[in-house]
Amino acid sequence: MEERENQEEKTEEKHIWKKKFSLKEFYDKNYKKLLLIPFLMLVLAILQIAIQTAVTGDFINKGVSLKGGLTVSIDKIASIIELQNYLRDQFPDADISVRALSSAGTQIGIIIEAADVEADELMQAIQNRLGDLNKDEFSIEVMGSSLGASFFKETFRAVIIAFLFMGIVVFLYFRTPTPSFAVILAAFSDIIVTLAIVNLIGMKISTAGIAAFLMLIGYSVDTDILLSTRVLKRKEGTVLDGILSAMRTGMTMSITTMIAVLVALVFAQSVILKQIMIILFIGLLVDLPNTWIQNAGILRWYLERKKKEYRSEE
Amino acid sequence: MSKAKKIITHWRVIIALAAIVLALVAIHPNPFVKGVTIRAVTFNSSVSSAGITSTKPTSSPMSRERIISMNNIPIENLEDYYDFISTLKANRTVHIKTNKNLYKLITKPGLNDDEIEDIGLSVYEAPTTNIRKGLDLQGGTRVLLQPEENLEPDAMEILLSNMQYRLNVYGLSDVVVRESGDLSGNQYVLVEIAGAKEEEVKELLAKQGKFEATIANETVFKGGQDITYVCRSADCAGIDPMSGCGKSGDLWVCRFRFAISLSPEAAERQAEITKDLPVITENSEEYLSEKLILYLDDAPVDELFVGSDLKGRAVTDIQISGSGAGSTQQEAVFNSLENMKKLQTVLITGSLPVKLDIVKTDTISPIFGKEFIKNALFIGLLAVISVIIVILVRYRKIKVAAPMLFTIITELVILLGVAAIIGWNLDLAAIAGIIVAIGTGVDHQIVIADETLKGESSGASYDWKQKIKRAFFIIMAAYFTTVVAMLPLMKAGAGLLRGFAVTTIIGVSVGVLITRPAYASIVEILLKE
Repeated sequence: MEERENQEEKTEEKHIWKKKFSLKEFYDKNYKKLLLIPFLMLVLAILQIAIQTAVTGDFINKGVSLKGGLTVSIDKIASIIELQNYLRDQFPDADISVRALSSAGTQIGIIIEAADVEADELMQAIQNRLGDLNKDEFSIEVMGSSLGASFFKETFRAVIIAFLFMGIVVFLYFRTPTPSFAVILAAFSDIIVTLAIVNLIGMKISTAGIAAFLMLIGYSVDTDILLSTRVLKRKEGTVLDGILSAMRTGMTMSITTMIAVLVALVFAQSVILKQIMIILFIGLLVDLPNTWIQNAGILRWYLERKKKEYRSEE
Repeated sequence: MSKAKKIITHWRVIIALAAIVLALVAIHPNPFVKGVTIRAVTFNSSVSSAGITSTKPTSSPMSRERIISMNNIPIENLEDYYDFISTLKANRTVHIKTNKNLYKLITKPGLNDDEIEDIGLSVYEAPTTNIRKGLDLQGGTRVLLQPEENLEPDAMEILLSNMQYRLNVYGLSDVVVRESGDLSGNQYVLVEIAGAKEEEVKELLAKQGKFEATIANETVFKGGQDITYVCRSADCAGIDPMSGCGKSGDLWVCRFRFAISLSPEAAERQAEITKDLPVITENSEEYLSEKLILYLDDAPVDELFVGSDLKGRAVTDIQISGSGAGSTQQEAVFNSLENMKKLQTVLITGSLPVKLDIVKTDTISPIFGKEFIKNALFIGLLAVISVIIVILVRYRKIKVAAPMLFTIITELVILLGVAAIIGWNLDLAAIAGIIVAIGTGVDHQIVIADETLKGESSGASYDWKQKIKRAFFIIMAAYFTTVVAMLPLMKAGAGLLRGFAVTTIIGVSVGVLITRPAYASIVEILLKE
């Protein structure tokens, strides 16, 4: 009975992979060589972060909510560049950037981020340019620089603790060092590579951005646990069968999440939500090679070696 | 038994349905509510003399007092309210009908002719559910303060009740004041004032508070240096053992007393001011003709008789007494102790040794909040539709997709119900948490669907229990990792991301314990031949 079922499954998989047969074969034969891709990504990412730290002193681009400063959101439409030039002229010592607040491609408001300037003076200058603003037409967030610094330190610490906790849970769950290590390495690579990409596109991280990295731990571990469970707890079929069956489920999970994230990214009006969604989207993309090449490769290497040792002992 | 009946009577589905019903009761949706809800009443205003009281911030939104009509003109929304207020003239009677009571107030003349003094009422559009909108959604001011030095727990408690009381005196009652900390042991005080955009509030909060007591318009003592000690322990504070409680008419009245110590200079001042005051007799007790009036940030908050034995004497240890009434003795005791606590708080104000630094302020426009809710609902709907389309394309089975849609909606309703029950404010961070919870929910349902579908096409009687068990092995691992990843955020960084962590943990817990097992059972029944 079990055997028949096993065959059923195999024919089903063959059917799916028929068109891309060569791809499957390539993946099957070269999984060790393919491991180079995620490891190269990780090394490059670490290099990027090292350079970033050496040049700027911080390993990320901190937004005003992490280094202290003002964020003003205005419910009005105006030319971004003109306003930015005007404000920079008015406050030459301040660090000011003006961006459009947009939803589905159309401008719906203005976001001004500024450091080293007083809120009252900045608001006065803005009103000189845009006309008087009703108190309901704008929001101001003022982050003290000491709190910004401590907040950054704190959340960074939270990410590390979260990561350690996650690692402990994974270890308790699988109770074998190599597969657990593979899951943790995949989550670590996700975060590091995502961080490097975020740095490269020049995004300034806000408090919410840090929350996005924590979300990423949860999402990235999901697919890795699915993969490890399917491969390790599977009694029938080869390791590759296990990986491929997990891949079908995992890909569906990633695609649904990415589509939902993309929808939110396009239509969200809130800058905070947008930033969370961009980071999640990058992270989910990065998670694909890290799960299906890196984690799967290590797992397969480990299991096939174990099999060989077992045989040679016999 | 038909499949539909089997699904409805399955215990996992029953639990999920019961949870939805409970959640709906907690959310208490009523889109037909009309009127304006009372947010705050200004101290000493015509409204407060009429007996209208401020809303307790802890009360659930739908249980709050709501104005239905004024002078028999129906008040359906904020516009009606402001239209009515603009017609008011001084020294007129206004009848206010709320969903709880009828009030009569008399408007007071303002500083100039033809003007009236603000009646002292702050209202907002009546809420239609019990879901509390956080500041990000309804607009308001959020201030994060840091004490210059670390405080002991009881000093922190005094500070918090103090600030709450001072804001209430200021006419702001929909105020949350709470302690917050971080992993490094820093202390913070978080103040959230809904609906308000009060620039002065920030200054008020950062100041150490100004407390002053006068007799006959002359300052006897000020907070800070003049009051050296306020007794709050049982041996020198509490219900007065000498007079205790008694019945007067229908009411029980209890007297309280507590000891305070004045600095020698303040005692001297007191003697100087009172030495020429006449003595009057009231309720067979002798008092000075002028009362001691307590001011907090320049607003009078209490009046006390001064015993005749203090006249012209520089005494540093004095006893403050007062009373409280209630319909039962128990209630009277409770009320007088409450009054005592309030008075003690006022006296301690300003004598606090700590200065507060403002480390973060947010003022959020209510327009942005409204737009944000609309936008979030729109995105949520669009995201769910696109996810369901992907699921339909992948599985080509309504039997898989329809229960999934049902589960997503169930999870959302139960999560909002829990938020309503625990009084959680929905803000941006909480919405991010909801997204994570629903997102992992879809992922877990895909795992369940794939595990149960395996071998299903062969028609063989595969062991269903085994399949579900295996799906939940994966799901529980993912659940535990998500929860432990969120735990450090509950404490880190002045609690600014606490809402995100709490909502995520509640959301995934609801999913794993209630809705996802129900989904597994529904799919099992639908797919089983």
